[in-house]
Amino acid sequence: MKIVVTVKQVAALDDEFELLGDGSGVHPDSVELELNEWDAFSLEAALQLRERAGSDDEVVVVTVGGTESEETLVGCLAKGADRALRIWDSSLQGADVLVVARVLAAVVAHEAPDLVLCGVQSSDAVNGATGMALAGYLEMPHVAVVKALDYDPAGSVATVRRELEGGLVEVLRVGTPALLTIQTGINEPRYANLRAIKQASAKPLEVRTLAELGLDAAKVSMAAGSRRRKLRHPDAGGGAEMLDGSPSDVAARIVELVRERMTG
Amino acid sequence: MSHRDPRYDVLFEQVAIGPKTLRNRFIQVQHCVGAGSDRPGFQARFRSTKAEGGWAAVFTESCTIAPEADYAPFVAARLWDEGDVRNLSLMCDEVHEHGALAGVGLAYGPMTQAGTNETRLAPSNVSSTSNPHLSGTAGGLWCVDRHDIRRIRQLYVDAAMRAVRAGFDIVEVNLSHTSSILVRFVVPMYNQRTDEYGGSLENRTRFAREVLDDIRTKVGDQCAISVRWGIDTLDETPWGFAGRGVRADGDGVGLIADLDDLVDYWNLNVGTVAHWGEDAGPAKTHPENHQARYTQLAKQVTNKPVVNVGRFTNPDTMVKVIESGQCDLIGAARPSIADPFIPRKIDEGRPEDIRECIGCNMCASRWEMRGPALVCTQNATSAEEFRRGWHPERFDAAANRANDVVVIGAGPAGMECAIVLAKRGMRRVHLVEAESEMGGTMRWITQLPGLGAWGRIVSWRAIQMQKLSKSLTFVPRTRLTTDDVLDYGAELVVVATGSSWAADGRSGFNPDGISGVDAVAQDWALTPEQIMVDGQQPVGNSVIVYDGDGYFMAHELAEKLAREGRSVTYVTPFPTVAPYTEYTLEQPRVIAGLRELGVTFRTQAVLVDADGSQATLTDSVTAVTQAVPCDTLVLVTQRNSHDSLFRELRDRPDRLQDAGIAGLYHIGDCVQPSFIAQAIFSGHRLGREIDSPDPSVALPFIRERRIIGGSDDDYELGSAAISAGEVVPLTMELGGGGLADQV
Repeated sequence: MKIVVTVKQVAALDDEFELLGDGSGVHPDSVELELNEWDAFSLEAALQLRERAGSDDEVVVVTVGGTESEETLVGCLAKGADRALRIWDSSLQGADVLVVARVLAAVVAHEAPDLVLCGVQSSDAVNGATGMALAGYLEMPHVAVVKALDYDPAGSVATVRRELEGGLVEVLRVGTPALLTIQTGINEPRYANLRAIKQASAKPLEVRTLAELGLDAAKVSMAAGSRRRKLRHPDAGGGAEMLDGSPSDVAARIVELVRERMTG
Repeated sequence: MSHRDPRYDVLFEQVAIGPKTLRNRFIQVQHCVGAGSDRPGFQARFRSTKAEGGWAAVFTESCTIAPEADYAPFVAARLWDEGDVRNLSLMCDEVHEHGALAGVGLAYGPMTQAGTNETRLAPSNVSSTSNPHLSGTAGGLWCVDRHDIRRIRQLYVDAAMRAVRAGFDIVEVNLSHTSSILVRFVVPMYNQRTDEYGGSLENRTRFAREVLDDIRTKVGDQCAISVRWGIDTLDETPWGFAGRGVRADGDGVGLIADLDDLVDYWNLNVGTVAHWGEDAGPAKTHPENHQARYTQLAKQVTNKPVVNVGRFTNPDTMVKVIESGQCDLIGAARPSIADPFIPRKIDEGRPEDIRECIGCNMCASRWEMRGPALVCTQNATSAEEFRRGWHPERFDAAANRANDVVVIGAGPAGMECAIVLAKRGMRRVHLVEAESEMGGTMRWITQLPGLGAWGRIVSWRAIQMQKLSKSLTFVPRTRLTTDDVLDYGAELVVVATGSSWAADGRSGFNPDGISGVDAVAQDWALTPEQIMVDGQQPVGNSVIVYDGDGYFMAHELAEKLAREGRSVTYVTPFPTVAPYTEYTLEQPRVIAGLRELGVTFRTQAVLVDADGSQATLTDSVTAVTQAVPCDTLVLVTQRNSHDSLFRELRDRPDRLQDAGIAGLYHIGDCVQPSFIAQAIFSGHRLGREIDSPDPSVALPFIRERRIIGGSDDDYELGSAAISAGEVVPLTMELGGGGLADQV
C-alpha cells in the first residue's frame, strides 16, 4: 500500500505581519512557518493506515515549496512518513491553486499510490480547492471533507463519512485509487519524539524540478485560474457612530439612517 | 526604538517634582523586600533592576531613622549612621546608572522593640493592639513631651541629611499604615493629648508639619520631598479604628490641605498597620485600583502630583486613572516585583509580555515571617538578582545548549523550566504533558473561589512559549512511561510530574493516616482532586473540611462547598484558621468570609477517625475527645509526590547511559510538594544552572554578612568566600557500606 499525502507549509496565523513593498505577498521574515493544520490530520490518517497494514507500505509526503518548506517535510518524516518530495521551480513563485494541483498531479501519477490524502484547506489561503483540483487532473474518484475513514488495503474500496452542513453525515464507498480531503478532528495527530526528529534527517528527502517531472514551466503556469495582483491592508473605516438615548431615540435614528442610505 | 502604542503616551510624560523631574509616570513605591541596609548588594540590584525596567523613581522599603525607631524583627531599611549611608549609596548609584530617581521612605516606627531593646515612644499611652508580644508594647508606652518631640525632629533631619549624602533624590516621610510616630499623632485612635499636639486636626498634624518644615529647610533644594499618606483607615470595615481613625473625606483630605505647601507630591494608600492587607489587597478580595474611591478625593484639595496604588498591571487601567484625573502617577509595589520591566514593555509595544502580579501576597508573607528575602510566585528572579545573578529579562546561552531536553509535566515547574531552557538556547525542548492543556494543578486551582487571577501563571507562560516555538514544542495528551522516556531521544530529562493530595488523610498530625478513611474507596471521603477534577459531590448533610495544610486549599474548599449550600465545619489541628494566611494578610477576610457563609470552626483539633456519619476529634492541647457529625470528610492534609517515574529512572543508571541520557533531574511538587512559588523557582533554577557541574544541586549564592578579613571580592558569584572549599569525594556504595572499607 502506498499513500501520498500532500502537505503545505503555511504562515502561522497572527495579527502582526508585514506585506512586501510591492504588495505581492507577505514579508517572509514577519511570519512563522508551520505545517498546515489540516495536513497534520491527513498525515496522521495515513500513518494510522500504514501501522495497521504491513511493512511494505509507504507514506510519501509531497509539497510544492521553496527550501524553507523542507523544515516542514522533515517534521513529517519525524512523525513517521517514509519519504518526502519537494517540487520547486522559480516559475512557481506565487502559483495559484490550479498550478499547484497541476504539478502535484504529475507527482502522483508517477507515484501511483492507492490513496491520496489532502487537507480540506490551508489555513492561510483557505481556497479549499487544491485537493479537488488535483483529483480532477488525475481523473481520480474523490471525496471531500472526510471525517472518518475505513480502508483495508487488501480490498480496493474505502468507506468514508463525509461532513455536510447542519450536522448531516454522508456515508460513501469509493473505489481506490482515490483522493480524499481530510477534515480536522478525524483523529489526534501524533507528535514526534526527539529520537524520531533526530532520525528524520536520515530519511529520503528528494527535490525535483518541473523538468524532472516532465513538465514545461510555461504550460504549467497557463493552468492558473487566477493571478494575485496585490495584497494590501484594508483602508481604515470611518469608525462607528454610537447611538445613545432611550430605545425610542435609538430606533428613530436607525430609521433615519436606513432611509438616508436607501435613498442616497 | 519605541513601538509604543500612542494610547499609552500619557504614561510616559515627564512630571516635575520640586527640584527633580520624573522621566515618566511610573513609581515603584516603598515596599518591603527583606534587604534593608544590611544587604546592600541585594538592595541595590533589586531596585536598580526596576530602574533598568523603566520606572521613573525607585524607593527603598520603609527606612527607620534611629535605633529607637526600628521595626525589628521586621526587616526595614536603616539610615542610622554613616555605614548605612555607604550601604544605601550603592542603591542610589545603581539606580542612577539606569536613569531613575532614588527615593527613601523615612520613618520613626513605634512598632516593636525586639533587636534594639529601646524604649517605645508614642503620642499617648495607648498600647498597640497588634502582636503585643512582638511589639513589646504590652504594658504601655512613653508618652512624649516637647523635649522628646524636639529630639525626634532632630533625628528626622539628621536622617534626611544622611539620605542626601547617600545620593537619594526623593525623601518621603511616612504617614501611612499607622506605622510611624508622626501618623500616630494624626490618628485619634492613638492621640489623646490635650496640648497643642492633640485635639484638632491642625494640632494633630503639627508634629508632621514641623518635621516636614525642618526637612524642607535643610534639604528641600536638593531633594524632592513627598509624604506617604494613609488617607483612610477604613473605619467602616472591621479592619479600621471604628470611628477613631482617619476618613478620606475628613481628616484624609484635611491633612493634605494642611501640609500641601510642604510637599512636592503625595503618595497615597489606605489601611492600618494591623491590616495592611487592605492596602496590599489580594486579587481574590480586592480588584485592580481598589483604593480609588478613597484616594481620588485628594485631587480636590491639591494640585501637586498624586501617586495612587492598587495592584496596577493593566496599561489601559493606568491610562484611565491618569486621564480621569484620579491621580497623576502610577504607583506599584507588587506589580513591580512580578515584573520589574512593566514600563519598558509598554514603551516597547509589547504589553503582552507583562508578567502580571496575581495578588497572592507570597511576597508579603516572607516579610511577615520577619527575616527572609521575598519570593514572587510569578517572578522567580525576584530577590535573586544579586545573590544568584539572575536578571529577569536576560538569559545567557547555556554552555551545553547543543542538547535536546524533554521536560515531563507542564505544570508551573515544568513550564517555567522549559521556558528558561529555551531562552538559554537549548537545541530543542519538548514539554510533554499527559493532559490536553498545560497548567497542571493550576487548571483546577483557578476554579476555586476568587483565584481566577492565578490563571495568569499559565497564560503568561503560554504566551512566552508561543514566542519560543522555534525550539520549544508543547506535546499534549502524552503520558510517558519509563521506557518512553528512555526512548524519547533527549540527552537531558527533567521530571516535573507534580503531586496529589493524600487519600488517607496522612500528615504529621496523623502519621498513619486517619483511621477508617480511604478516599479512593469511599464516596464520603474526598480529596481536593476528587472534588475539583472528578466533580464528586459531598454526600449527606454535614461536611468537615480537615486542614492539615494550613494555606489556601482547605479554606477555599470550605468556601466553595458552603456556597453550594453545604453545612461546613472547618477543622484543623493548627491553633488558627488557615495559619499561613496570616502571613499573606488574608486571614481576617478568610475567617469573616467563611463565617458569613455559615461555616463553623474547630481549631487545635486533630481528627483521628471517621466512618461516614461521624468523626472523632481530639483536642491537641487538652486531649479531650469528642464525636462530631461528619457525613463527608474533605481531606486537605498533605500532598504526595508523583515520584515513581523519577525514582525508576534514577535507579537504573545503566539504562540511562544506554539511552544516551546525560542528565536526569526533577523539579517542583514531584520532589517536594510546596507553594506554587517554590515549584516555579525550582524549575527556573534548574534552567539557569543546567550547564553547571551538577545541576541537581543549587550553585552557591552570594551571602551578605561580615567576613573576617573580608573584602568586596567576597560578595561576587564564584568567590572563595561562598565556595565549599576543598571537597574530597567519598567513595561509597549506594545503600551503605562502611567508609572505612573504602579508605
